[in-house]
Amino acid sequence: MRRGMFQITAATAAALTLVCAACSGGTASGSADDDGPWAPTGSIEYIAPAGAGGGWDTLARTSANVLEGSDLIDVRLPVTNMEGGGGSIGWSHVASKESDPHTLFVTSPPIILVPLSGASPHDHTDFTPIARLIADYSVYGVAADSDIQTAEDLFAEIAADPRGFSIGGGSAVGSMDHIAIAGAAGAAGVSAADVNYISFEGGGEALLATVGGHTDAVVTDVASAIPLVASGDVRIVAVSSEERVEALPDVPTLQESGIDFTFDIWRGVMGPAGLTDAQVAYYEQLFADMLELDTWATERDRLGWDDAYMDSAEFGVFLDEQSTQFESILTDIGLSS
Amino acid sequence: MDILNQLAGGFAVALTPENLLYVLIGVLVGTIVGMLPGLGPMAAIALMMPIVFSMEPASAMILLAGVYYGAIFGGSTSSILLNAPGVAGTVATSFDGYPMARQGLAGKALAIAAIASFVGGTVGVVGLMIVAPQLARFAIGFGPAEYFALMVLGLTAVASLSGKNLTKGMIAAVFGVMVSLVGIDRQTSILRFSFDLPELYSGIDFLVVALGVFALAEVFRLVRQRQNDDGKSITSLRLNRSELASITPPMTRTSVLGFFTGVLPGAGATIASFLGYAMEKRIAKDGESFGSGNPKGVAAPEAANNAAAVGSFVPLMTLGVPGSGTTALLLGALLVLGVTPGPLLMTERPDVFWGVVASMYVGNLVLLILNLPLIPLFARILRMPKAMLLPLIVVFCVIGVYALSFSVFDLWLLLGFGVIGYGMRVAGFPAAPLILGLILGSLMERAARQALQISGGDWSVFVTKPISATLLGIAAVSVGLTVLSHLRRRRERVLVSS
Repeated sequence: MRRGMFQITAATAAALTLVCAACSGGTASGSADDDGPWAPTGSIEYIAPAGAGGGWDTLARTSANVLEGSDLIDVRLPVTNMEGGGGSIGWSHVASKESDPHTLFVTSPPIILVPLSGASPHDHTDFTPIARLIADYSVYGVAADSDIQTAEDLFAEIAADPRGFSIGGGSAVGSMDHIAIAGAAGAAGVSAADVNYISFEGGGEALLATVGGHTDAVVTDVASAIPLVASGDVRIVAVSSEERVEALPDVPTLQESGIDFTFDIWRGVMGPAGLTDAQVAYYEQLFADMLELDTWATERDRLGWDDAYMDSAEFGVFLDEQSTQFESILTDIGLSS
Repeated sequence: MDILNQLAGGFAVALTPENLLYVLIGVLVGTIVGMLPGLGPMAAIALMMPIVFSMEPASAMILLAGVYYGAIFGGSTSSILLNAPGVAGTVATSFDGYPMARQGLAGKALAIAAIASFVGGTVGVVGLMIVAPQLARFAIGFGPAEYFALMVLGLTAVASLSGKNLTKGMIAAVFGVMVSLVGIDRQTSILRFSFDLPELYSGIDFLVVALGVFALAEVFRLVRQRQNDDGKSITSLRLNRSELASITPPMTRTSVLGFFTGVLPGAGATIASFLGYAMEKRIAKDGESFGSGNPKGVAAPEAANNAAAVGSFVPLMTLGVPGSGTTALLLGALLVLGVTPGPLLMTERPDVFWGVVASMYVGNLVLLILNLPLIPLFARILRMPKAMLLPLIVVFCVIGVYALSFSVFDLWLLLGFGVIGYGMRVAGFPAAPLILGLILGSLMERAARQALQISGGDWSVFVTKPISATLLGIAAVSVGLTVLSHLRRRRERVLVSS
């Protein structure tokens, strides 16, 4: 069907392209057939489905700056912030741009978690995975004066009195930090539904509540925890990565502590549905090349990220796996609809 | 004197020509974005991020901090002149500032706001300098139970903001609380009052409501008002000695209150300004005239919000914990620049900590010098004929709201709240309690549920924790006094009529 319509409109499209070369309309893909290589013909709308200053915005602006400052691409990637609905406003916009190769957006676990909670009509299957770029990890911490020294201690305490042991985190119930602790608890043999997770407004507030003795433990990301770890106010007992992280070389992973669970806060890029293989291949290569740039390495290290590249196919499989895993954790917690 | 040595070191950083220029640019940009609703310090700082990444960390923070407190300083201008608060922290300033402007005292109101902002900012910096590390410990003492008690205390201000009719004030406050609950509930991930509209999933932005019920509703009222008050004369902006003397004690008190409120990451400038306003209304002998153009009602929130803006640097720099979206951006900038804020900042990077502290002294002075001469210029805006001024305010509101998230839906909300605000005025419902309920409602609910979740559902946690019990006690006394005075007034009225 689509192919047929395309052929009929091809002539018109060719004429139109002359008139509006800079437009990012769907028909712009007419400049290449499906077999040949593709390249963008105009500026790329690069969407951060959140406000300025958050994780998505930082990734979008950083990667756009690195790309525009390199010779990898000669069109612009203006970043557009589409705030609202935990991402769903931006996703709806991208979903309406089907087959438009001049639209991209940055993504992370909420693309799976928000739809699972029922707060977005679109989920990751409505979009084309382009590439996974970086990863960040969860840490499990306690106040410096706590008796808990290891991950084993932590989960033993939780198991002894799950409802009485409070664990603060910076994200909403059913979102990243909650998944990170509930999944780990499940792997440690504690019922995920029993974990007393308290949602705070950001990792900082969650950390302070633990330092102040208001909550018993905290789960947050590495970067948020660093200041209070450096000052000795918080002790991190485990990290959710497969291997120890550079910033916290003395902290064992969950797996080292005998808990078979890993969790990473991955970030990547997706496009609208209906992109051709050539278009996907172009972007895949673009982002793979970007990760090799020195300018990227500088930014990445400054922001404390780890490269975690996956190409489109791998990323797609990974997203499906994540979806299954998150859904089962959410079911264990008792949140899945 | 160790502190003086370190402060001298800070001034050595802040007074280099380069950094002086950054302070100047920062506060200038801040003043301008503060005046324009919607643009706000957060958007301005986000836009400046790419520039500061190539700067020295101390210079970068001096610049960005200038934007932040400059915006709180400048936000009062549109509150006073147009009843359109530019930033959340200056809503309370409009309660008395706008009536003053309507009475032809715009110049004076702006001057009071500028002086109070300067005093608040300076008291805040002194506090930041002397007690920052100790105060960080004070902030840690606040957990969910304590925040709940603080919000309850804040809500008692409804009594002060209600004017003559306490019942109508309470109804407005409850409506505000309801509006604050719209969107995804973080404690359960359940959508509330969102009517399946994705635009409502993340709640209704404070600014949409504030501009609707204050600025837009006022435009509607002025349109309906037949009599023409074009070309209002603007009296001198000079304050005489007795006026200065009368606002000095309120400014001093609310500066201290504002600073301590700002230090708490879960509170901040907006709550500080409301607490300051309510406190001074209660203390003042002429408290009855608060809300109808009392200069103290301008001085109190302005001193409090500026002190709080500076106070919020305590948790940011000494704990690495931001208290608001704007300070979260500042934290991000510090991290990117390779500076780890936290308890070690003062010893590891004294140039950053003391440089920023010293630059705040300079910045506050610059703001005062910059703003005072501009006041007659700004005040002149009110001389515009109504037919030009009102459309201008509408444009101002629409751009401000649209700039929030580029959503047309928000514009319909703005219009809706404008109509609601106008209806409330006609029916005699005060708008200020609605705003207070909106600010405190969701915060209070969240804190209460967090506290109860931690305690396993045991309500005694609110009274067994000393800070929480004290705050709730003050709130109870405050409510008790209000009820008593209402009863007394009613009895007096009965006596007079019999």
